[in-house]
Amino acid sequence: MIKRSFVVFLLLVLGVAVYEAFRQAPFGQNRIGNVDHPQSVSAFYLKHSPETLHTANSVTAIVVNFRGFDTLGEVTVLFLAATGLASILYRRKEEEEAAEKGHLPQRIQLPSSVLVRTGAKILFPLILMLGIYVFVHGHLTPGGGFQGGAIIATGFLLMFITYKRFNVNHNVLIWLESLSGLAFVLTGVYGLISYGSFLQNTGWTGRLNDLISGGLIPLIYIFIGIKVGTELTNVLDTLLHTKPRRNE
Amino acid sequence: MSNYQEIISQYRPLLEIIVYGSAVALILIGLYAVLVKKHLVKLVIGLSLIDSGVNLLFVGVGYVTNHTAPIFSPGFETAADKMVDPVPQALVLTAIVIGFAVTALALSLVIRLYRHHKTANVEQLNRLRW
Amino acid sequence: MVVSPVHLIAAPLAAAFLIPLLNKLYRDAARVVPGVVFLYNLSVSWILVNRVFRSGPIVEVIAGWKPPFGINLVMTPFSAVLVMLVSFMAFVIWLYGFRFKRSLKGGVVMYYEILQMMMAAGSLGIILTGDLFNMFVFVEITGITAIALTAFYRDRDGAEAGFKYMLLGSMASVFLLLGILLIYTQTGSLNMAQIAERMPAVATGVKVTALIFLLISLGTEAEMFPLNGWAPDAYSQAPSPTSAAFAAVLGVAAIYALARVGFTLYDHGTVSGFLIAMGFLTMLFAEMAAITQTNLKRMLAYSSMGQMGLAMIAFGIGSEAALFGALFLIINHAIIKSLLFMTGSYFIYNLNDKRLRALNGIHKRLPYVSFLFALGALAIVGFPPFSGFWSKFYILTAAGAKQMMPLIIGILAVTVIEMTYYLRVIGRIYFAKEESEPASHKPSIQALVAMTSLAVLIIVLGLYPDLIAGFLHRASMFLLDKQTYIQTVLHLS
Repeated sequence: MIKRSFVVFLLLVLGVAVYEAFRQAPFGQNRIGNVDHPQSVSAFYLKHSPETLHTANSVTAIVVNFRGFDTLGEVTVLFLAATGLASILYRRKEEEEAAEKGHLPQRIQLPSSVLVRTGAKILFPLILMLGIYVFVHGHLTPGGGFQGGAIIATGFLLMFITYKRFNVNHNVLIWLESLSGLAFVLTGVYGLISYGSFLQNTGWTGRLNDLISGGLIPLIYIFIGIKVGTELTNVLDTLLHTKPRRNE
Repeated sequence: MSNYQEIISQYRPLLEIIVYGSAVALILIGLYAVLVKKHLVKLVIGLSLIDSGVNLLFVGVGYVTNHTAPIFSPGFETAADKMVDPVPQALVLTAIVIGFAVTALALSLVIRLYRHHKTANVEQLNRLRW
Repeated sequence: MVVSPVHLIAAPLAAAFLIPLLNKLYRDAARVVPGVVFLYNLSVSWILVNRVFRSGPIVEVIAGWKPPFGINLVMTPFSAVLVMLVSFMAFVIWLYGFRFKRSLKGGVVMYYEILQMMMAAGSLGIILTGDLFNMFVFVEITGITAIALTAFYRDRDGAEAGFKYMLLGSMASVFLLLGILLIYTQTGSLNMAQIAERMPAVATGVKVTALIFLLISLGTEAEMFPLNGWAPDAYSQAPSPTSAAFAAVLGVAAIYALARVGFTLYDHGTVSGFLIAMGFLTMLFAEMAAITQTNLKRMLAYSSMGQMGLAMIAFGIGSEAALFGALFLIINHAIIKSLLFMTGSYFIYNLNDKRLRALNGIHKRLPYVSFLFALGALAIVGFPPFSGFWSKFYILTAAGAKQMMPLIIGILAVTVIEMTYYLRVIGRIYFAKEESEPASHKPSIQALVAMTSLAVLIIVLGLYPDLIAGFLHRASMFLLDKQTYIQTVLHLS
C-alpha cells in the first residue's frame, strides 16, 4: 500500500513536470516561421520539398531524403529485432520435432467458421493490394514504406489466424528481406559514389505530383515497403510457430 | 472565415489540456503499469502505452492552429505557409517502428521465460539476486 | 573512392543484410564476414584518424543537405581516438570469439555474429553522429542488440537479465525522446551544433528539465548510479565476447554520448558538479558491491561500473589534464576489462562453475591464461608498470591541481578496495590448494592471439605512454571546445 502510494505520488510529480515543460511550447503555436524568418528547420523542408525534390508529401521527403540516415537506422532496428527474436526463440531441431511429432503446428484450436474463411480469402489480396498502393504512392499521399509494409503483414496475419495450414515459404521471405535491405544500403552507396554524399538524391526529380517524381524517393520507399512487409511477416511466422512442448 | 478562426482560438486552451494532458496521462498510466504490475505481459503492455503517449505528444507538439497537413497535393502547391510542422511527424514514424521492435523483442523474452519457468509472475522470477 | 566516416557504418550494415544470404551458400560464412568488415573498419579508422590529426575535424554530410538541415557525421580528434578504439576492440573481440561454441550449429551462430557486429556499428554511430535524433536511433540499435545478446544462452538466466535490461533501456529511451522533443520545441532544430548555438536563448526551466531527462537516459546506458541495476545481470549472463564488448564498445559510446550532450549542448559548468558527484557515488557503490561478490563475472561487472564512475569523475573535473586522463582511462578500461572477461571466461568454461571459490589453484591447469588474468587484474588496479597506472595517476594529478582533496582521498580509498578483491582472486588462482586435472578446454589459437595482443598492448602502453600521449593531449581539449565544434559544423564552405 505504501509502495503504491509512493509510486503514484512520484508519477504525479513527473507528470506535472513534463506537462509544465511542454506547456512552454503552447499547443498550436506557430514555431515554424517561414523561409525568410525561419524558427525551425521545418521551414527549409517545406520550401525545398516541392521545389527541389518535387515530392508532394513533405513528411516522406524528410523521412527518406533529408533524414534518410535515420530511416536506415530504423530499418536496421527492425531487422535486428527480427534477428534477435529468432535467436531468442530458437529451438534445436530435435526439440521442435519432439514438440510437433507429426502434427502440423497447431496455431488455433477450433476451425474458423465459413464466414471468416471466405472473408479472409476475399480480403487477403485486397489488403495486399492496398499495402502495395500505400508504399508505392508514399511520396504523393500520406503513407509510405512502413505503413504499407505493416498493412501487408496484417493481411498475412489474417490468413495465419484463419487457416491452420497457411504457410509462407520461409526462404522466400529471407531472400526478399535481405535483398531489399541490401538494395537500400546500395542506393545510399550509389549516392556516395555518384554524387559525393551517402543517400543523395538524383538531380532528375520529375514533376510535382506525378507518380514518377522525387528521384530516388519512391524507389527507396518501395524497397522499404517490401522489406518491412516481409520482415513483419517473418516475425509473425516465428512467433506463431511456438508452442510449449507437451511434456514440459 | 474569421468567425470560425475566433471560435477555434477560444477553445485553444481546452484543446491544449486535452491533447497534452492525455498524452502525459498515457505515459503515467504506462509507467504505473511497469512499476506496479506483476504479470510480465502487463509490463509489456505498460511499455506499449508509454510509447503511445510519447508519440501522441510528438504529434501534438507539431500542430499549428488552422494549418493543414504538409502534403502539396494539386491545388496546394504553394501553401507552404499554411502547413503543420512535418518534422515531428517524421520523428514519430521512426519512434513507432522502434517501439514496435522493442515490444516484439520483449514479448519473445516473455515467451522464453514462460517456457522455462512455467510462470509469468515477476516476483517468482527473481532468481538473479544481489 | 575516398573514405569517409559513413563507411564505418555502411559496411557493417550491408554485411548484416548479406549474411543470411551468404550463410545459405557457405555454412560458416557468418563467422568470417564480421572479421572482414572489422578489418575494413580498422583500416578506414586508421586513415580517418590520421586525416583528422593532420587537418582538423571532419564533417561528413549525408544525403547532400548541409547541416543543420541534413544529418551529418562529425569526427573530432576526441571522437576519432574513440572510433579507433572501438574498431580495434571490435576486431579483437571477433577474433577471440571466432571458434566460439564450436558445437553450435549454423543457424544460431549467424544470429550471434550479426548482433555482435551491429552492436559495434551502433556504437560507432553514437560516437560519430552530429544529430540528436540520429543518436537516439543508434542508441536503440545498440540497445536491441545488447538485449538479444544478453538472452542468447538458453540454459542460463539470460532471459531474465535481458528482460531487466529491456525494461530499464525502454525507460531510458522514453526519457531520451522526451528530452529531444523538449529541445526541439525550444530550439527548432535537431542538429547538435545548431542546438548548442541556440541553447543560451532557451528558458532555464525547460532547459534544466530537458537536461535531467537526457542525463537520466544516457546515464542508464553509461551505468550511472542508481540506474545501473541492469549491468551486473547483463554482464554475467551474456556470452563472454558480449560481456567484453559491453565494456569495450558499448560503454565507450555511452560515456561519450553523456559527455557530448553535457558539454556541447549545455555547458561544462552546468554538469561538472553533477558528473563528479554521481561518478563518485557510482564508483563507491560499485566497488563496495564488488567485494561481496562470489561470482567471477558479476565481480568483473561491478568493477567495470566502478571504472565508468571514475571516468565520469574525470569528465566532471574538466581540465585538460583530467580529460586526458579520462580518455586514457577509457582506452585502458576497454583493453584491460576485455582481457579480464576473456581470460575469466576460459576459467569458467573449464570449471563449469562461476563461483570464485572454484578458481582455487587453477594456474596449474591453465598457466598462461592465469598469467594473463593476473596481468589484467594488476593493470586495472593501477600497478606500475602497466597502463592502468598512468590513467589513475593523471586523473589524481588533475584533481590535485584543482585542490579537490576529498576526491583524491576517495579515489585512493576505492583503489584500496579494488586491490583487495583483485588480489584475493589472484591469490586463489595461484596459492590455493586444489585438485589438478589437465584442462579440457584449452583456448583456441585465435583466442590466444587476441588475448596476447591485448596483454602486449597493456605492457607497451604502460612502459611507453608517450606513444599515444601526444595524440591524447591534442584530442582532449576538443571535447570542451564548443565554439570550434559549432563553427566547423555550421559553416561548411
